Amino acid sequence: MTERLRQTARRLLEEGKVQVVIGYGAAGHPALITKAEDAQKLEWNDHCLANLSVYLTRKEVKALGKAAIVAKGCDERALVVLEKESQIDRAALYVIGMACDGLGAPKCASCQVHLPRFADEVIGEVAPPAAAPTGPNGFDRLMAKSAAERWAFWKDEFERCVKCYACRQVCPLCYCERCIADKNRPVVIDTSATPKGNFAWHITRAFHLAARCVGCGECTRACPAGIPLALLNQALAQATEAHFGYRPGMDPQAEPVFGAWSPADREDFIG
Amino acid sequence: MSEANAMSEPRPVSFEPKIIAFVCNWCTYLGADLAGTNRLEYPPNVRIIRLPCTGRIDFNLIVKAFEIGADAVLVSGCHPGDCHYTAGNFHARRRWMLFRSLLETLGIETERIHFTWISAAEGKKFQQVIGEITEQARAMGPYAAYQGMCAGPAPSPAVEAAK
Amino acid sequence: MSAILSVAALGELVAGWIGQGKLVAAPVQVGDRLLYQTLATAGQAVFDAKRRPSNSIKEFFFPRHEPIFRYRLEGKEIALSDVVPEEREQIVIAAKPCDAAALPILDHVFNWDYEDGFYTGRRARTTVVTLACAAHDEACFCTSVGGGPEDEAGSDAMLVDVGDGKFEVRAITEKGAALFGATPGPPAEADGGTLKRAPRRFDPARVARYLGANFESPLWKELTLTCVGCGACAYTCPTCHCFDIVDEGNAAGGVRVKNWDSCQFPFFTLHASGHNPRSAQPQRQRQRLFHKFSIYPQKFNAVLCTGCGNCERNCPVGLGVLKVLEAIDGEQRRLDANEPVQA
Repeated sequence: MTERLRQTARRLLEEGKVQVVIGYGAAGHPALITKAEDAQKLEWNDHCLANLSVYLTRKEVKALGKAAIVAKGCDERALVVLEKESQIDRAALYVIGMACDGLGAPKCASCQVHLPRFADEVIGEVAPPAAAPTGPNGFDRLMAKSAAERWAFWKDEFERCVKCYACRQVCPLCYCERCIADKNRPVVIDTSATPKGNFAWHITRAFHLAARCVGCGECTRACPAGIPLALLNQALAQATEAHFGYRPGMDPQAEPVFGAWSPADREDFIG
Repeated sequence: MSEANAMSEPRPVSFEPKIIAFVCNWCTYLGADLAGTNRLEYPPNVRIIRLPCTGRIDFNLIVKAFEIGADAVLVSGCHPGDCHYTAGNFHARRRWMLFRSLLETLGIETERIHFTWISAAEGKKFQQVIGEITEQARAMGPYAAYQGMCAGPAPSPAVEAAK
Repeated sequence: MSAILSVAALGELVAGWIGQGKLVAAPVQVGDRLLYQTLATAGQAVFDAKRRPSNSIKEFFFPRHEPIFRYRLEGKEIALSDVVPEEREQIVIAAKPCDAAALPILDHVFNWDYEDGFYTGRRARTTVVTLACAAHDEACFCTSVGGGPEDEAGSDAMLVDVGDGKFEVRAITEKGAALFGATPGPPAEADGGTLKRAPRRFDPARVARYLGANFESPLWKELTLTCVGCGACAYTCPTCHCFDIVDEGNAAGGVRVKNWDSCQFPFFTLHASGHNPRSAQPQRQRQRLFHKFSIYPQKFNAVLCTGCGNCERNCPVGLGVLKVLEAIDGEQRRLDANEPVQA
């Protein structure tokens, strides 16, 4: 698959169809290839965990010109949401889909998108996904605790947060030019890495991704303090699916949850 | 700190819960006004914050209310179908449905957050709701968990752990 | 002078210090990460000469969040009050040499035109005990910036793993000696013992020469475009020390605090006018390299880096400074080969 990927990248660059190929380089780290001869640097292996769609909204990368992007099925979900939110021009993007049946990350165990579905070309073949495992996962274990235990758990976890914003910067869907956390007239979220500031930030980060997060898990992987941030996103993903039958990034035609409303929305908690 | 602890700890004898109510201008605020003009007494514990529409109520306002010491929060607006801006309350409803699940995941006491539809004609309902919320908050005690966490900047871990 | 202590004996010493009300910090296993943390119990401390924590010990001298003073607004009057300073003694134990070596480097900037009492107070109250390294990984490059597995810079005492769960204790300064009831010994030999030193990866002097002449090199964009602009490198770096001062409060009053900041954040250099001189990531990455390897050395005669490798290990996209430094070093070597450097 690596060889075919390199050939595709080389061809696209040589023919001038794209000016940059956003792919994975050595050790699976992101690589931005702008010269055809550098296509040899592209790799495809177990380390290719990063969600490269984060680069599509960066002005420095957009300035390079038309792009091709290497995308796994999970990454492609972010592309679908980005297009829905008018952040990318799908017609101007060349998606090199990679068939993938797991790279050993926690999210891979329950993956249902082994094959990218909307790519311009797909490299590789894999078996279709097995049914998602039904045993309790980290999220179920968290929700089995009492509210007080959950509070203590998160207080403990957020104690280690240093507000580096790695979670925000790696997220493909955190693309606001000026994040609310950077707003200082007035300050909405304390920048301090105190319990108050950390709770305020993580509540905001998770909720601004409500019904948008595609579950790529990059936030958790990027956190230098090892905080299981994806659990918060998972809570919202489950609620979104339960209430609205919506899974972000799966169906390009589906209406985003917060862009719409229905008189039938459940309201048993409203007096 | 669990709810049970909150109730069994000795409370100041004169604990008066602080309630913050985020209400929409066109329905609930007018409903509160009607309660006033009809001389319907309701507990003075509530501070009413008027916004144009529930659709404008950012979830961060609820978080901020707890940060500054609220013991309970009310969010109230027009009945579905009656929104002055047509659909603001529908958007708000969706937002609240998901926001509650996030708060539950974090272990935040969602029993302290109340959502109601109160129209401009429902002065009585406003009185009842505020009365109920205040009594419930009095029984639950101060939201010590959230307030304790926010009380001043935390000392560096160096100081904290040695306590 | 040195003595041999077992892990159990070390644990007892640590428990004793905690019992005396001292603050003790050490590497602690948190999930699958090793992180320096203040200990609640001695049993949390991990004495592993082969692993490097993901964070640094600067937290104990320059915390991520430090209140500076409090203020209350009373009508038109402003009442200021000092923050109660921490007075307890502090011990950092089993620190890596590359973490301790950062302290004498940071001492320059926190003392040069103004003595930062918050920092110097903690420095004075803290004893640093390092644990010499029995292993290194591909991200380590202490030997390229003048350090090593048994480097004593910044250490008051050093533990060396001698096998069988035993550690040799080397007292280096009076403070370190006093902690263990010993006397300071002579410095260890430059290539001490059997500890394997990482091979040198670049020459800082050559890098500084390249930086001095190549501010506008296309290398910056080529090498650093994948940076996503978080603060993971700066916040886990033992020598990064940028901070932001903010007031947190309301109309009645509040507190002025000093928080960590990172030159990689997009708004780090945003002016009130709206202009941002470093509006693109490669410019911000360039600045980081310049600060560490050109500007700081020019000012204080010290490279602002100890080669710990945290930046690369914590970087979500695997960047860090080493790759860029090796590329610059290589580039300058090529330039030197074509044009001999003027003496």
